Amino acid sequence: MRLKILDKYLHFYNSEDSKLSIKERYLTLSRSFLMIMLLITIVPLSITTALSFFQYRALIRQETINNAQWNAESTRQGIEAFIDKLRATIQIISESYKYKDLSVQENLDRVFENLKSKNKGLVDLSVIGTDGVQQAYSGPFNLKGKDYSDSLWYQKTLARKVYVSEVFMGYRNMPHFVIAISKKVTGEDGYWVLRASIDTDTLDQFLAGVRTANLVDVFLINSKGVLQSSSHYYGNVSDQSPVVVERLPHNKSISTEENNQGTKAMVNVVGQINETPWFLVLEQYGYADKKTWVIFKRELLIIYVVSFAVIICLTFFIASFLTSTVRKAEETRESILAESEHANKLASIGRLAAGIAHEINNPLAIINEKAGLMKDLLQVSNDFKYKDKFLLQIDSMENAVKRSRAITHRLLGFARRMDVKLEPVDLNSVITEVLGFLDKEAAYQEIRVDQDLQPELPNIMSDHGQMQQIFMNIINNAIDAVGNGGIIQISTRQIDTKTVRVDICDDGPGMPPEVLKKVFEPFFTTKKGSERQGTGLGLSITYGLVKKLGGKISASSEIGVGTTFTILLPTGSVSTGGRDI
Amino acid sequence: MNKTRVLIVDDEEEFANTLAERLCLRGFDAFSVGNAEEAISAIKGDRVPDVALLDLKMPGLSGLDVLQMIKKLEPGIEAIMITGHGSTASGIEGMKLGLFDYLMKPVDINDLVTKINEAMRKKLQ
Repeated sequence: MRLKILDKYLHFYNSEDSKLSIKERYLTLSRSFLMIMLLITIVPLSITTALSFFQYRALIRQETINNAQWNAESTRQGIEAFIDKLRATIQIISESYKYKDLSVQENLDRVFENLKSKNKGLVDLSVIGTDGVQQAYSGPFNLKGKDYSDSLWYQKTLARKVYVSEVFMGYRNMPHFVIAISKKVTGEDGYWVLRASIDTDTLDQFLAGVRTANLVDVFLINSKGVLQSSSHYYGNVSDQSPVVVERLPHNKSISTEENNQGTKAMVNVVGQINETPWFLVLEQYGYADKKTWVIFKRELLIIYVVSFAVIICLTFFIASFLTSTVRKAEETRESILAESEHANKLASIGRLAAGIAHEINNPLAIINEKAGLMKDLLQVSNDFKYKDKFLLQIDSMENAVKRSRAITHRLLGFARRMDVKLEPVDLNSVITEVLGFLDKEAAYQEIRVDQDLQPELPNIMSDHGQMQQIFMNIINNAIDAVGNGGIIQISTRQIDTKTVRVDICDDGPGMPPEVLKKVFEPFFTTKKGSERQGTGLGLSITYGLVKKLGGKISASSEIGVGTTFTILLPTGSVSTGGRDI
Repeated sequence: MNKTRVLIVDDEEEFANTLAERLCLRGFDAFSVGNAEEAISAIKGDRVPDVALLDLKMPGLSGLDVLQMIKKLEPGIEAIMITGHGSTASGIEGMKLGLFDYLMKPVDINDLVTKINEAMRKKLQ
């Protein structure tokens, strides 16, 4: 499938009736190259950049989630270990001591003091009898004799044997939780309970120990979403958190979800603390706030922008280079076509000229002979009144025939096959010879001819006679152009080892561009009506001869300044195609 | 001394007759014919020319054909081509066949007389 823009260009390019100027056409071509190259470079660059962006984002996002899960898991394990240790300690005490021994205040105080030094956060230790009334209490509060028989924690302890409570205020009027163990009284039916109260500051300290760069908040809640520890954002113990309780996991697994809070992407990890009524909630900033992600985005953007700029510059350069190459190729093609067209034109005109010359020469010969005979007869006859006048008329006729003959012979010369005879030619000598022929003409019109001929100019392989004709035509033209008192400058130079240049400048009136363009056309003349009326073939023949000899001829002119003919001739051998022109 | 006899072969009778008359006025024994056949008859007859002036293009046989036949019948006759054509190739071809010279129409009578005299001198050598 071709690109539309290319089609657009080709349409304009091929369309003969296109109104586009050459400049606009090449501008369109340049734009087309530019668009195509931008498409085939920017699109892959953008796709690659986008792929890198999304792949790295997925990677860093997964890493962020894994990191949050790992942090939550390690925190959960820490809390579980702490609770397990306390529970095990309480259990050992309940098994090591009998109910009646621990019911003695002194014994309980001793055990409490022992425990307190080893278990941070332990507030108090108490023994509750089979009737639910506190029998002994060691701690800062005066709670001995308190009846817990209707308390929820007491009932659950009796039912479960071991119980870790939610955080509550209770008689102490401070947030705490209890670890209680019920044990059968030896020799009786009832159960006694050993209970330890732990300050929630201990849990807060655990949670405060979680150190991670992107941590936002970490706290504990119960199954109803009520805070069991302090939270940075949602308040203190017993406040309601915004966590949706329906989504809380009820096994050892942890749930993870991503959400946006304002402009921030967050990762929330929730996991249940084993054998407790608590759930650990950990909130961490998402991947978007990670330093590596920010750096990656910045570097990716820089690489993309720099690549884009480089591509734009290169594309401009390549588009302009291609356009200029195409333009040069087209100009060369057009120049070859124009030359070929010119040569064909010359050949056609040559054939036509030869035919016309032949047809005219025959009647011209008859006129010539008839006039000649009349003259002969008049000369041998006796004098009569109009003899001299008749002879004068006949001379005029003969002169007219001579002029016509000059034209027809020139036409035939134009049409004649020009065989090139190559020989070493000294251009300076040829110019001097030609000037020798034209000396009188120039002197008569007071024309100054300045010669700036390079000494030791190398000989060129060319045709001496045809070189003479070339310079004769151009210098003759210059003489006609400058008129009385004019100046003609002739210079020869070797440009390089292969080329010699001849410039013939005159200070004549110059030619406008439209005349200059046609100066080498056959039968184009500006000398109509002048004394030295031209046939319009001189420069055309010169053009053909120079081309035939492998050279180039060009003319430049400026009105009021003059005209310069420049001839470039090869020093070596030339192609002698020998075609008719 | 006998007059130089000149035969003019040209299908342009006006030209040929007038030229013959002018040459006669200059002391030549000149006569003209309009085609190749008449030229051959003249050569075979009793008016054998010293110099023949031939037109290149004629109806029927061309000037070059007539030249070949003249040279075959009477190699001593010198021939000059007078033509309205400017073809170097035909000139070269004529030279190869023994043509003395080649002139372009319209000719200057003095140039022609000079050429005829040169041809005659060559014939007499």
